[in-house]
Amino acid sequence: MSKSISYLIRRLGFYLVAAFAALTLNFIIPRMMPGDPASIIFARFRGKLKPEAIEAMRQSFGLTNDPLLVQYWSYLKGILGGNLGTSIAYFPEPVSNIISSGLFWTIFLAGFSLIVAFSIGTLLGIFIAWNRTGKLDTLLPPTLAFLGAFPYFWLAMLSLYIFGFSLNWFPLSHAYGNQVSPGLNLSFILSVIYHAILPAFTMIFVSLGGWMLSMRNTMISTLGADYITFANAKGISSRHIMLRYAARNAILPNLTGFGMALGFILSGALLTEIIFSYPGQGYLLLQAVKSQDFPLMQGIFMTITFAVLAANWLVDIAILIFDPRTRK
Amino acid sequence: MTRKNLYQTLIFGLFIFCSCEEKTTRDREGLIIYQEQFLSWVRNFEPLNPASVPRWPTRGGIYEPLYIYNPIKAEWLPWLATKYEWRENNKKLLFTIREGVQWSDGKPFDAHDVAYTFNLTKKFPALDTRNSWEYLKSVVAVSNTILEVTFNRVYVPGFDAVAGTYIVPKHIWESLKDPLKFSNPNPVGTGPYTEVLRFDSQIWELGKNNNYWQPEKPYVDKLIFPAFSSNEQVTLALLSGELDWSGAFIPAIDRIFVAKDPKHHRYWFPNTGYSTFLHTNTKDPVLSDVRVRKAISYAIDRSQVVKVGMYNYTKPAHVTSLSGPMAKWHSPDITSKEDWTSYNLQKASKLLDDAGYILNNKGQRLKKDGSLLELDIIVVSGWSDWIRSAQVVSQNLNKAGIKAKVRTYDFGAWIGRMQRGDFEMSIGWAEKGATPYNFFKGMMFSEYVKPIGEVADVNWHRFGSEKADLLIKTLEKTSDKKIIKNIINDLQHLFIEHAPGIPLFAEPAWGECNTKYFKNFPSKENPYGPLSNNEQPSFIFTLLNVQKR
Repeated sequence: MSKSISYLIRRLGFYLVAAFAALTLNFIIPRMMPGDPASIIFARFRGKLKPEAIEAMRQSFGLTNDPLLVQYWSYLKGILGGNLGTSIAYFPEPVSNIISSGLFWTIFLAGFSLIVAFSIGTLLGIFIAWNRTGKLDTLLPPTLAFLGAFPYFWLAMLSLYIFGFSLNWFPLSHAYGNQVSPGLNLSFILSVIYHAILPAFTMIFVSLGGWMLSMRNTMISTLGADYITFANAKGISSRHIMLRYAARNAILPNLTGFGMALGFILSGALLTEIIFSYPGQGYLLLQAVKSQDFPLMQGIFMTITFAVLAANWLVDIAILIFDPRTRK
Repeated sequence: MTRKNLYQTLIFGLFIFCSCEEKTTRDREGLIIYQEQFLSWVRNFEPLNPASVPRWPTRGGIYEPLYIYNPIKAEWLPWLATKYEWRENNKKLLFTIREGVQWSDGKPFDAHDVAYTFNLTKKFPALDTRNSWEYLKSVVAVSNTILEVTFNRVYVPGFDAVAGTYIVPKHIWESLKDPLKFSNPNPVGTGPYTEVLRFDSQIWELGKNNNYWQPEKPYVDKLIFPAFSSNEQVTLALLSGELDWSGAFIPAIDRIFVAKDPKHHRYWFPNTGYSTFLHTNTKDPVLSDVRVRKAISYAIDRSQVVKVGMYNYTKPAHVTSLSGPMAKWHSPDITSKEDWTSYNLQKASKLLDDAGYILNNKGQRLKKDGSLLELDIIVVSGWSDWIRSAQVVSQNLNKAGIKAKVRTYDFGAWIGRMQRGDFEMSIGWAEKGATPYNFFKGMMFSEYVKPIGEVADVNWHRFGSEKADLLIKTLEKTSDKKIIKNIINDLQHLFIEHAPGIPLFAEPAWGECNTKYFKNFPSKENPYGPLSNNEQPSFIFTLLNVQKR
């Protein structure tokens, strides 16, 4: 057991170094982009704002000409104190407030669809690999691979047009209806679920095939292993072999993939959020890039970085539990 | 089987429930408006800080200035002040402040609030949007109704900045620790709409000010602002009657919007009075020659640009770039001047011959060193109307023998190139204002010209003229309407002579409305103000006149 703890601590150390590198890159990259935010916001007024306003804006944003090292130091100090600065596009709102408003919806929508797609895809993969001469196995993999090959935005827009606009079954935008107020009440919760159905469905639809195929393939090679034949010979029930003997080993690559996907939830729902006007993190990122909102961009990238690293660490723990070999 | 039925019933029930909840008809008491593209609202009603992004209609609808400029009629209307007067050779400006105005919390409004607002911007330069304290000496409330503004030098255009400043209540701002970080979540203003009835991330509502100083106005009880993230969402909402008033750009609007319900779906895109430009970098060795600039202008078929690039929503630019409500400034001698915005390939070709660019047998113009005459046009990527316009211009110029390539850049990169003068030609806007003063100053004032490589906030094309400097400086010292008119005439003649930039087409202001539930929006037949809600603070005319059906 002590070995596995030292393994986890080693991994944690590795992730800390990675986090530090990411933070540094996160500081450098936006500063290499052309243009400064005050001029860009000024230019957005297309001649309606007088040039004299630029100086006033630079003062408000606290844009400094300090040497980079000084800026870097105050950036690191800010992050440790949980202070991500003030957003420029939503001035004077603090970045942490804006991110937390988007974070909830992204985690809810993308997290929910990821878990559903992962569970259904993996279960289907197990099942069709087990019955690999059945009708489902000849039908499902090509169909889902075909559907998964569609460009996501096209599929999402098509379903928005058919189910949202033409048939009018689902709402066209937003995370909840305009008549309800956010809070812990039934009508709000139902409204949230109703609004999430279409975007979540499209996300599940395109990612299902990937989970299923990778599970099916590793499962089939696992099924060829000697210990499966041995278990069969011992007369263990086939359900037990399928889930405990084969699937438990075959799920490891899928689990790693799940960890990666979990981390990328925070950025990956960009297209969904734009098409369905869903108020999440991805849309915020787009707006931050458009208005050169460095503090907001940095804040979002940082949450993504930390989410990816944390998710990978969790996967390390999960693999430790599933795969006894790592514990030795 | 029973279990399956149970699930089916549950799911079905859920759908029915949701549908019932969603299909409730829209709120007919409130005017539903789109102006800002946000996916989730941030509660900010701070009007002074130019860096702050307050919710529409903070600047104009919640907080009001002393005078409001109506761009359709091109005139200033008295608002929180009733009249003004220049004194002591234009070094003093006296405002008579309107009596009987109340803040929305019931406290009285007077000249002390106005004086306080100006002195606040003196104390915090970050709030001084117009950099007014560069020419102001003091702003004092002489009495409850008289405000005395003293200038440290004669600068008559300073009136625009003073009259247009949004006035905030002294009794609220006084107690703030840091007005720069203030987001003013519960506004107290003098405007027609001040009460935030509801504020959720996706939708918010603003109720009317019961203490508003114009009796009986506004007519509509509340404004509703759902969040829209794209122009497509806006168009869909306009079509389905979920949106009453919008300032979005909609392509092929007659077919997409009006044809669906010609009785109620209306739009009005009047000219702002100014033009969209093909900017020419006058520090470029080729474009520094006025003959080349004029030749380029002659070679452009503007009616084609307007048709292909702008869906015929506007018209070709006037040679002074002033049109629509600004046409009243046209010089009487304008007809006798050269009209280089007309389409004339012969003249273009003659000018290029004179400038020494020889035509080869393939129809291309050559520089003196024998290389092809090539000029790039840079445009912001994604601004599709301007990209299409640039493509038409490029085809037109190719016909005249000038190889013009269109290059698109991300907004940040584009503006960086413009500011540093790192471009040959570009599609862009020009300065605007209540008189053509700002426009001509931005086009020809030498002090704005920065060397190539240094950031210039205006005059990106880097043209300066000593004659223009003199005229502009004289203009800044006079309040005599006749002298102003004469100087503006001279500036137009100078502009025509030097062609510092090439006006392409008159700039339209987008405005659409659905008159199914509300009436009395401005229109071509009833032009009391702009239909576009993008211009602060002139959207207030619509807010005050729209009525429920």
